[in-house]
Amino acid sequence: MTTFIDSLKRGIRTLGSRRMYLFGMVIVPVLVCALFVGMFSPGLPLKAPVAVVDLDHSPMSRQITRSLNATELIDASLMLENYQAAMSAVRKGEIYGFFVIPDNFERDVVAGRQPTMDFYDNLAYFIPGTLAFKGFKTVAVGTSAGVARTKLTMLGVPGQLTPGLLQPLVVQEQTIGNPWLNYSIYLTPSFCFGTLALMIFLMTCFSITMEIKNGTSVQWLATARGSIVTALAGKLIPQFVVWSVMGQGMLSIMFRYMSFPCGHLGVLCAAMELFIIACMAVGVLFSSVVPNPRLSLILSALIGILSFSFVGFSFPVQNMYGPISIFSYLVPTRYMYLTYIFSGLNGFPLYYSRLYFAALLAFPLVCSILLPRLRKACLNPVYVP
Amino acid sequence: MNQDNKSTKPRRGPLGWFDAMARVFRRENALVLSDMGVLLFFVLLPLAYPVIYTLIYNPEVVRDMPVAVIDNSRTPASRRLVQTVDATPAVSVFAQCANMAEAKDLFGKNEVFAIMEIPANYEKQITNGQQATVTMYYEMSLLLRYRTFTSAMADVQLKVAQDVTAARINAVGLESLSAGGGAMPARAENTFLGDFGQGFASFIMPGVLILVLQQSMVLGICMLRGTSNERRRRNGGIDPREVQDAPLSAKLLGRALCYFVLYIPMCLFVVLWVPEIFSLPHMGNPADYLLMLVPFLLASAMFGQFVAGFCTERESAFIVVVFTSLVFLFISGLTWPTYAMDTFWKWVSGLIPTTWGVNAFVRINSNGATLADVAPCYHMLWILATAYFLLTWGVQAIASRTSKH
Repeated sequence: MTTFIDSLKRGIRTLGSRRMYLFGMVIVPVLVCALFVGMFSPGLPLKAPVAVVDLDHSPMSRQITRSLNATELIDASLMLENYQAAMSAVRKGEIYGFFVIPDNFERDVVAGRQPTMDFYDNLAYFIPGTLAFKGFKTVAVGTSAGVARTKLTMLGVPGQLTPGLLQPLVVQEQTIGNPWLNYSIYLTPSFCFGTLALMIFLMTCFSITMEIKNGTSVQWLATARGSIVTALAGKLIPQFVVWSVMGQGMLSIMFRYMSFPCGHLGVLCAAMELFIIACMAVGVLFSSVVPNPRLSLILSALIGILSFSFVGFSFPVQNMYGPISIFSYLVPTRYMYLTYIFSGLNGFPLYYSRLYFAALLAFPLVCSILLPRLRKACLNPVYVP
Repeated sequence: MNQDNKSTKPRRGPLGWFDAMARVFRRENALVLSDMGVLLFFVLLPLAYPVIYTLIYNPEVVRDMPVAVIDNSRTPASRRLVQTVDATPAVSVFAQCANMAEAKDLFGKNEVFAIMEIPANYEKQITNGQQATVTMYYEMSLLLRYRTFTSAMADVQLKVAQDVTAARINAVGLESLSAGGGAMPARAENTFLGDFGQGFASFIMPGVLILVLQQSMVLGICMLRGTSNERRRRNGGIDPREVQDAPLSAKLLGRALCYFVLYIPMCLFVVLWVPEIFSLPHMGNPADYLLMLVPFLLASAMFGQFVAGFCTERESAFIVVVFTSLVFLFISGLTWPTYAMDTFWKWVSGLIPTTWGVNAFVRINSNGATLADVAPCYHMLWILATAYFLLTWGVQAIASRTSKH
């Protein structure tokens, strides 16, 4: 017991010994969390700047311009003379799309010649491009339907028949968990988990391999009377406490302060603890595979950064190439993310997240198989720059 | 390798300054080439990362997203609708469910990403000329999936309208209206700019390419300076492998030039070849973006030397720099638009070379802009290069003065 307490004391002392620990374990998570919460707080980037090219200058085209202006997704206050001017504004990054009302539009509509409204949206910037597309499409379809309705009424079609004529199928959308289509709810939790995982990998490797670099690893093991398990427990438990505070803090900022939808916060809080342990276990594994600060940190950085992509925060794992999608199942972030989706966002009971919990629990077991190797490296510390 | 130390006495005057800079340049080259860790950052990272990254996103679009169908109508018309939905490239009908509980179970097991509920009176409404309402329950964990679903369903709506409306209008006796192919008095045509196929890799990769260039360079610089600081601590405040008598400004510029030259082949690979390999958008004149990359690389080199001031140790780079890749990507305005950021984050993003580099490159590469179109970005990169040079120079001058006293 005293060996354990000695190891623990040593672990706490190490944390206080360098500012790097404060930076990596507290400042970075707080900073990133603040960035996401602060930057995405509008939820939806409304009022994407776009332009209108009105070549018709008729009452009808002015009506369309007014409708475009009334759409909250876009800000269509910029009027440009022609297509070239609008394209140039897109290239300069001034607008994310534009809407062209052709010459003689009103005349052609009245004459039944079906003129075409053209709209262009810049998908090189995905979110504003998509919003511009949505705004344009709504107005275009609305305009067309409005004219058609008037026409049908003029022709004597009973009012109750017109909607069925123009749009026989209506698709009613139920967006589960995120009816506001709030981007912050998509982005903030998953990217906070990803950042946490990255920093836990890095700091765990850093704290273990620095003992090897500084030649203190022999002393570290001696404090634990040669037991690598006790030594690791003494070193990692204080870190675990810090990470828990960070992780639970992030959860309460997102789901209490920001009131993101969350079905079962308790499940998420429990998953967070397992997630932190799993990430630390991965860090220990990296340090055992390559007991060298530079190489284990490279491994942590590589896996940590790539996790943001292959875990499927923005592009679904189901549509990735098979050999790549395998990687998503090898990192704890995937299971934390899925737990959040099912227990948090979609509000399913714990039963549906049980496999993710089991996976998170498996990480420490699997990652401990290389501990003898780590012990050996700690007893004969060799620093390779 | 220490030939430089034996070289003749340092010259004085402006020529001496250039001479010192040349010696710093040569020394830094030797340092980089003899350090495996730095070479990994400077060479392997820009070579491998763009390829791995694009491979992850290269499927570009989401296809065959599984959907559960609850068909309460069970009529030929509703079956036709299910077939129409299944026929879209984006959606694939995974299962027919008897009720909502069954569908929800599939949903919870991550087997389906949407539930389509067809009302019992679907066929009656469609044939009677009324509006039929179908309810879609979408899983909202991914924006991309939701976006693809809604656009697929819009196509289904249009298809049904085309099939049903013409027949109906004829039934009402208004052939005149349907003349010309459809019932709508005006057509609407959409064109996607910059990313014609609406692909995800085509959207994110041009930005990531630029980000990789800066971040790998900053990591390498931080490792070089961290190692130098370790040597300095071991040798009583002097780094024996540094050119001792060079003025600070010559040191900073000589090193920046070294990184710049080393990055020329990397840049050519990343911006000329990678988009070709993966058929990413690749418009614009190479001369435009290559010219833009000159101040970008210099700004990155200066920014890197500034950040390196925080690296006391060889391995500090990982903890100080790695997480910033994510931050810089988000504040660049590529994923989250600049107009929706508050003033504080706009200012922070303006201080980072990638913000200007990414926007300039994306507009040239994806939208076919010219260097003149992205002149503000180009100018900002020169300003940042100068500003970080002056800042690093000031900070290090003060630091060395206080350490001497």
